[in-house]
Amino acid sequence: MQIVLPRGRMLSDSIRLLRKSIPGLRPPDDRELIYRNGEVEVLLAKPADVPVYVETGVDIGITGKDVVLENSHDLFIPTSLPFGRCRLSVATLKDDMVPVEQMDGYRIATEYPNLTRNFFKSIDVPVEVIKVNGATELAPRAGIADAIVDIVNTGNTLKVNGLKEVKTIAHSTALLLVNRISQKTKFDQVNELIFDIRGVIKRESK
Amino acid sequence: MTYEAMAKSRELAKVVSALRKNYELWNYREVFLPAIAEYKGKLDKGTKFAGNDEFYLIKPDITSQILTQLKHVETHKFFYFSEVLDGGVKGSWQFGVEYIGGEQTWMIVEVLTSIITALEKLGVYDFYVDIGSRRIWRQVTSQAPDKEDQIFEALYHRNFELIDELELPEKKKEEVWELFNYRGQNPDDERLSEILSAVGDSRFFADFGTVRHRPYYYDITFEIYSPQVGEPIGGGGEYMYKDRTSCGFAFNVENLLAVSLDTDGVARKLVEGDLHESFLTARKLVAEGDYVEVNPCK
Repeated sequence: MQIVLPRGRMLSDSIRLLRKSIPGLRPPDDRELIYRNGEVEVLLAKPADVPVYVETGVDIGITGKDVVLENSHDLFIPTSLPFGRCRLSVATLKDDMVPVEQMDGYRIATEYPNLTRNFFKSIDVPVEVIKVNGATELAPRAGIADAIVDIVNTGNTLKVNGLKEVKTIAHSTALLLVNRISQKTKFDQVNELIFDIRGVIKRESK
Repeated sequence: MTYEAMAKSRELAKVVSALRKNYELWNYREVFLPAIAEYKGKLDKGTKFAGNDEFYLIKPDITSQILTQLKHVETHKFFYFSEVLDGGVKGSWQFGVEYIGGEQTWMIVEVLTSIITALEKLGVYDFYVDIGSRRIWRQVTSQAPDKEDQIFEALYHRNFELIDELELPEKKKEEVWELFNYRGQNPDDERLSEILSAVGDSRFFADFGTVRHRPYYYDITFEIYSPQVGEPIGGGGEYMYKDRTSCGFAFNVENLLAVSLDTDGVARKLVEGDLHESFLTARKLVAEGDYVEVNPCK
């Protein structure tokens, strides 16, 4: 079975959770991007790429709900996982704060153009969305955007960069993803893993 | 045309010529539709653009395009090959089949059987078809109509959590669980049993977890896949067209390429000899319906 895990902040929680269902699963060695651990082959990818790997053939994956929602992927999402919790928020420079309803004509910088467009469309406020690939907080400071839509965990990065949260538009958490074909061709194996993981989550939440 | 497009065209042609032949043999007629259609709410997919104060769609979903073009309600058997766009500039190549106005069960059995011959023509034997029933789920949700959207949402994503969280009586929830994980068993459903037994192929399974993301399917839906490729190679189901039962599906040709053998799907007769004789022989063979390959005499 192939499993793709997100590099970065969700990796250790993913390994910790999976180890309870796949005993002996080890974390990757330094700079290792693919390794075999018994019957399991583990791949490490950028969180945004995990759904692409799962959609096109890797059996199982873990990544944030934010990246799954951003691009509509054709895959199964059997359960959410108890880590990687954060929120997707609109933020502006702290001296330029206005409610989102008054952002008509604003230029919004984000790594999540689809979610951003959908949100502003839902409140009927026309905005211009520009896609950036990281360090989104920089955009209002550099004068290339009036506001940003970005993942907020503690709010410290916003604060340090002189920004303030205006509105939360979505909540995110880690999700377990399953390839549609693996669910059919490895039905029992995949179901067993899902039930195991759900059992662990239930036990730990008590 | 770029080198990449030419290479892809060569690959697509191999698969499509075999599929075309298969559906001609099954008495389906190819349809050719304009690449640009006037925007109508009934058209699915395509990339929208505006011109001369009108909205248009480039390369919309062919099924919806066919259905908006049909004037007479009678029996139609069509196939098509087209790129379908979904809002952007890059689309997916689809080979689709529509059987409109046939006898309900005979029609679905014919379509499913034609899938076997199509794939085998391409040298694809390692494939499976999972068959689900929207009717069965409708029976379940009819007793909890306010939960229908949630149940279908859970089904599309196979989300165990949503099912778990449904506020349903335990017995009803167990029924949902059982259907949710129902795959490969003998279906306790007369129609599905009849279809599976008529098709009579061990690569076809009943799977109530197979639900396609299109609200117009009214009963049987199916998905075609192979363990060799991580994405479905096709899928479709039954729908109603002007009160006539109909059935349609499409192969995702790019995924099909990943599993088909390196063959154009037909046995060709090799013709060699001098120039005149070769082409005389080839002409006779083609007139008789044989595929030929004429080799120049060196």
